[in-house]
Amino acid sequence: MRELFAFGETGWGDELLAGLAVTLQLGVAALLLGLLIGFAVAWASLSRHLVLRCAGFAYSTIMRGLPELLTLFVVYNGIGLLINKLSAFVSPDSASPEFSPFAAGVLALGMVFGAFSSEVLRGAFNSLDPGQSEAGKAVGMNTRQVFMRIKLPQAWRFALPGLGNLWINLLKDTALVSIIALNDLMRMTKVAVGATKQPFTFYLAAALIYWALCVLSEFGLDRLEKRANRGIVNR
Amino acid sequence: MDPLYIITNYGPRFLDGLLMTLQLTGLGALMAGLLSPFLALARTSAPVAAQWPLRLYISFIRGTPLLVQLFLVYYGSGQFRPLLQDWGLWNFFRDPFNCALFTFVVNSTAYQTEILRGGLMGVDNREIEAARAVGMSRFRILQRVSFPHAYRIAWPALGNEVILLMKASALASVVTVFDLMGRTRQVFSRTFDFSSYLWAALIYLFITVVFVFLWRQAELYMTRHIRAGNTVTQGKQHHG
Amino acid sequence: MVDNDTVLKAEAIYKSFGALEVLKGVDITARKQDVISILGASGSGKSTLLRCLNFLEPPTSGKVYLHGKEISMGKGGKPDQKQIEHLRSHLGMVFQQFNLWSHRTVLENVMEGPVIVKGESKAVARQRAEVLLDRVGLAERKSMYPSQLSGGQQQRVAIARALAMEPDAILFDEPTSALDPELVAEVLKTMKSLAEEGRTMIVVTHEMSFARDVSTHVIFMHEGKILEQGTPAEMFSNPRTEPFQRFIADVS
Repeated sequence: MRELFAFGETGWGDELLAGLAVTLQLGVAALLLGLLIGFAVAWASLSRHLVLRCAGFAYSTIMRGLPELLTLFVVYNGIGLLINKLSAFVSPDSASPEFSPFAAGVLALGMVFGAFSSEVLRGAFNSLDPGQSEAGKAVGMNTRQVFMRIKLPQAWRFALPGLGNLWINLLKDTALVSIIALNDLMRMTKVAVGATKQPFTFYLAAALIYWALCVLSEFGLDRLEKRANRGIVNR
Repeated sequence: MDPLYIITNYGPRFLDGLLMTLQLTGLGALMAGLLSPFLALARTSAPVAAQWPLRLYISFIRGTPLLVQLFLVYYGSGQFRPLLQDWGLWNFFRDPFNCALFTFVVNSTAYQTEILRGGLMGVDNREIEAARAVGMSRFRILQRVSFPHAYRIAWPALGNEVILLMKASALASVVTVFDLMGRTRQVFSRTFDFSSYLWAALIYLFITVVFVFLWRQAELYMTRHIRAGNTVTQGKQHHG
Repeated sequence: MVDNDTVLKAEAIYKSFGALEVLKGVDITARKQDVISILGASGSGKSTLLRCLNFLEPPTSGKVYLHGKEISMGKGGKPDQKQIEHLRSHLGMVFQQFNLWSHRTVLENVMEGPVIVKGESKAVARQRAEVLLDRVGLAERKSMYPSQLSGGQQQRVAIARALAMEPDAILFDEPTSALDPELVAEVLKTMKSLAEEGRTMIVVTHEMSFARDVSTHVIFMHEGKILEQGTPAEMFSNPRTEPFQRFIADVS
């Protein structure tokens, strides 16, 4: 058993570790992109303009209703086809550039995270006390200062538990990207299974690694929440 | 390119996939729904020491990707082939549909148990005391008071769980089950027509919309006593 | 006509919310060291008037001058945002519900405006904040969060927060209405001491004692207009209009 997970030539420890690194990179990149999309969509859904509101609503509803796997294929194959067509149009002779599975994974998972997080953020901004912003305006803050100094830190407090759950879902969804051949933890596990013919052992190992990541995340989120809620007395 | 080409030529395949998706989701949710009340009950009233295997199971399911769980069952069972053959279970685990369904049931049971536990904890203690006061047995109280209330509280969350399971069932395609997702990938690999994915998206959204509507109707039916109360108060305000 | 002593002046302020006209042409002038009490039944438009003065509610029409300089209208009749921010940084405001920033400590609440809006250094802002907190009697609570204070304490912090901007005038929007009766006195005492040191104040209030004993000028509003105004002595000894007579009878 120990040889199986050893590092170096004989064992699969270093391969799994490399896969874990890819998984984490993918997760963090998708989180950042997803938060950007989430803020943009939440902003659109809270806008005064009907068209923007409808667009925000449509995006979050459709994206949340589709299987993540389908979104991944739509992005991977769709953008792949698009690049092929574009490159054939621009320079018909040269080979078309590859759309990397990593980029597809970040984009697809970011789009999904964006849809779910926009709902969390919309709720958080909706539950702010308008008096808090008014007090900022009353000392002469401009719109940006009111947003950065008051609305954002207070919304963060409301949004954190929801965003934490979404992060854990995102971490688990990264496993899907192995299906489009990205060398993440799941994919490296598959490679190890192919070589050792010990599927249960290796998939169980992968499961334990994901589990550990989730438990660690929960622990970290708990601390973040405590920090964000300082100054709030439960009465 | 004719956008209808895919659906006119491959329509039956999509329909076939749709039925498989509905079957996986429906059976998975239903079987998990049969198991979860017992586990939720254990989770709320069993001695704390006896709960740890249950908590470990729920934490594991919630902390690991469904894809890993599926591979653990479908590929992992191969590692124990002689053993499973001895027990006569090998034929079950050889079939990808069985493995997918088994995984979905194990997965959804964990989530439904947690949801239902929340519902049971939300039941008003005074109603249970009232039931004790009229001399109901423990079983009767669960059957007549606790669970009806718990399901009413948990209903929207259970609906969400079924939708999540429906979306997650697309993973079955990875172990060669021809559900809607599997059929879509098959059609795309033959035609390289991107609209096959868009048709699949439309069908998934359609299932969700219909399901949300039906689930909501059931909720209205289940909560009719609460709404009846509301109409009475509204009526009073009207005349007052 | 604006003399050098005029701090804040508003002319012909109208304000409508949809079809509802709340202010129907109100003029108000605050000179240096004026303490103006605005009285009126609820719905008379007194709070709206106060909020129009610093554009938390932009007036539907009318003019506001700070030190004789008009807050001019930009394109499309909308007032210029930069000028509004300038106006607000010269007018303190104290709210009915205190509106202390719940995610910042008492000290941070008082430092925030000078540091963020005026670009003051943190050291200078902190020093002034500590002096002001000492003045409202809350120096030892500076590291607490607002939710850990009583309503009266929160309102005193809010007053320190307004003072920290070194405003030319302070607007008070029913500062004691949200307080438990036993906490009203400590806030009124703080406000009185501000009046005694010659601060310019415009106070929407229900506290008759404050209007009578502390203010230099009383305004009575009724249905979106100023019905009566004058010194407290004239106003309370000789109420001329029927609504003001009824108002006095009701509250005393």
